[in-house]
Amino acid sequence: MSRPRSVRQSMAWLHTWSGLVVGWVLFAIFVTGTASYYRPEISHWMRPELSAAKPDPAAAATRAGAFLQRTMPDAAGWSIKLPNAENPAVEVYWWQSFNGPFHHALLDSASGERAAVRDTQGGDFLYRFHYELSLPPLVGRWIVSACAMILLIALISGIVTHRRIFADFFTFRRDRSAQRGWLDAHNVMGVLALPFHLMIVYTGLVTLSAMLMPWAVQTAYRGDILRYYADAGIMIAGRPPAGRPGAALPLGEIVSRAMAAAGETPELVMIAHPGDAAATVTAYFEEPPGLAHLHPQIAYDASTGVELGRVGEAGAATRTGAVMVGLHEAHFAAAPLRLMFFVCGLMGAATVATGLVLWTVARAPKNAAPEGLGLRLVRILNLGTIAGLPAGLAAYFLVNRLLPVSLDARADWEVGAFFGVWVLAAAASALYPPKRAWTMALTVPALIFLAIPISDSLTVGELRFLGFDFAMALLGLLFLLAARLAGRRAAMRQPSRANLHRAAEA
Amino acid sequence: MTVSALILSLLLSFSGFSALALSLDRHHRAVFRTPVSRRRLRGLRAAGWLGLGLSCAAAIASAGWSFGPVQWIGSLTGSALAVVALIAYQPAALRTAAVAALPLATLMLPFALMR
Amino acid sequence: MSTSPVGAHSGRARAYRFAVAARVLLASAGGYGIAASASALLAVVLPGTRAEAVSAALIASFAIMAAVVIWVFAARTVGRAALVLGIVAALLTVTLWLAGAFQTGSFT
Repeated sequence: MSRPRSVRQSMAWLHTWSGLVVGWVLFAIFVTGTASYYRPEISHWMRPELSAAKPDPAAAATRAGAFLQRTMPDAAGWSIKLPNAENPAVEVYWWQSFNGPFHHALLDSASGERAAVRDTQGGDFLYRFHYELSLPPLVGRWIVSACAMILLIALISGIVTHRRIFADFFTFRRDRSAQRGWLDAHNVMGVLALPFHLMIVYTGLVTLSAMLMPWAVQTAYRGDILRYYADAGIMIAGRPPAGRPGAALPLGEIVSRAMAAAGETPELVMIAHPGDAAATVTAYFEEPPGLAHLHPQIAYDASTGVELGRVGEAGAATRTGAVMVGLHEAHFAAAPLRLMFFVCGLMGAATVATGLVLWTVARAPKNAAPEGLGLRLVRILNLGTIAGLPAGLAAYFLVNRLLPVSLDARADWEVGAFFGVWVLAAAASALYPPKRAWTMALTVPALIFLAIPISDSLTVGELRFLGFDFAMALLGLLFLLAARLAGRRAAMRQPSRANLHRAAEA
Repeated sequence: MTVSALILSLLLSFSGFSALALSLDRHHRAVFRTPVSRRRLRGLRAAGWLGLGLSCAAAIASAGWSFGPVQWIGSLTGSALAVVALIAYQPAALRTAAVAALPLATLMLPFALMR
Repeated sequence: MSTSPVGAHSGRARAYRFAVAARVLLASAGGYGIAASASALLAVVLPGTRAEAVSAALIASFAIMAAVVIWVFAARTVGRAALVLGIVAALLTVTLWLAGAFQTGSFT
């Protein structure tokens, strides 16, 4: 770096090393984020006790309000996700402070009591891991954001490095050397889904921008972020608590007013300062069709039911930001488009994985030279992440069906299985003989994924989960195929290298 | 209908990308065993960009200005992936597939534009 | 580099490592600093409503940071990168001060 060099060389260096240092975390972010496109489906599958119903949202809100009143009457806030045809349970959160902890429960919409479902985090675990890595929220978000920024740098430097993007656009030479094949695979995965990669990393940063870049709000609003949200048309301005207790209307009454005012059922109601005379109930409605992630909102006085205000109209820049958040989360996407986002997410994970493997293949010792420590470490971390994380993911689903339904702290056991199997699979991959390591490592997630539909049909066996089970079987078969390909590659390599030796000696 | 609109953009961009791939000497040799001629190159390029353009138009006409571009870019990724896989594993089938995609696309057209 | 066996090379290896470390530090701290002050400045100078300016500043900030980082690694020498970054940072600070970001006590 100290020598004067061409920009392309500097960028190649930057691409290689920025990609390597965050590659493993990025792979985990990509995989869990991609899975999160199917968060509702995963949550449904993991809570098979909940079945579709036609609940009455207003009555359910009243019952949920009663539950929260019993649980934490002096909370700073409650949130109630109202039931709908697809999701019949009422999801409630309550908290004493905005810094958490946020308590959570699923309620039966008919009884207003905790629903009789197995204790699980469902798809929410993967979703939160995607941007918090199961670390304390702030720490996790900053680490993920730093990785995202480094990925953005790696993408830009990768584009500069790749001198023949158009000439090599369709090129995948699987008949040439291993290094060539991995490089082509990395290029194809990276370039073909480049719009997605750039979009997903930038919009991910924008999603967390208020935390990452508080300085704009600092200068323009003296740090009053709620005022910015209100001005921008993102949220309704809150009001301070009155400091004296007040009697609130049943929540169902306010939900009915919101339904009458907007012509649709709110998705969520939030109650600020419940029990206070100035308690406010805000009804959030589903985003109107479009890319932007902007929820229409109406705020009501909790004790009188009088409308206090509606969310303002967002301007062009705010709307642009909201479109970015919308694109990142892809809530707008109907099934076919969502599948496309899913495939692009997988291509992102594959780009990271092929890049990591390429790093080791390009540095593999020639002939019988011993493997250096750094190379060995990267190779094992690759095996442990690229094959180990999917094994943990599959185990997370599998134990949902295998653990006893009434087990204490069941949700924690599931998360424990995710990390436990991941760590075990990674540790085992350090012991595999290098030549067969990929075959052996990839067989583990294949077998666990294949076990999921079997255990589901034996324990739950409902027709509505056929799609999920089919997807799991497909993933298992894909991992088996990958394991076989890795085995064939290793077998192919042996004689060719021997030939090379003979040729060299001759 | 979004499914048929998506399939339509996929088919059109698949044909377009196939033509663009064949306009590159390396892939032309892999498929036809001959180098690509000057005239043919120009024709293939034009056909390729036309396919991508039609795919874009189809996406926007059927899905509107907000979802259309998203759908189009997604279909570009998907169809390019298919072209790469065909060239790598079944190069001889590329031309047939690219040509066959066109009548299929015509067949999808009424479904895609139906509201 | 680490593979160089003799002492004569190890001095150069150390210089190389130092240069890499300096660039990494400059890119991360300088990149964030410039992006932060640029977004703080954009929020008060962009036309349109105050909220719109903030939204635009938030969206733009990451592009600014990425550009700075790329530039730091593309620059011919570390010294040059540090010098240019220093000038840009100083200019931004002066402009922020002129824009009144410090006087109101709002910018910490």
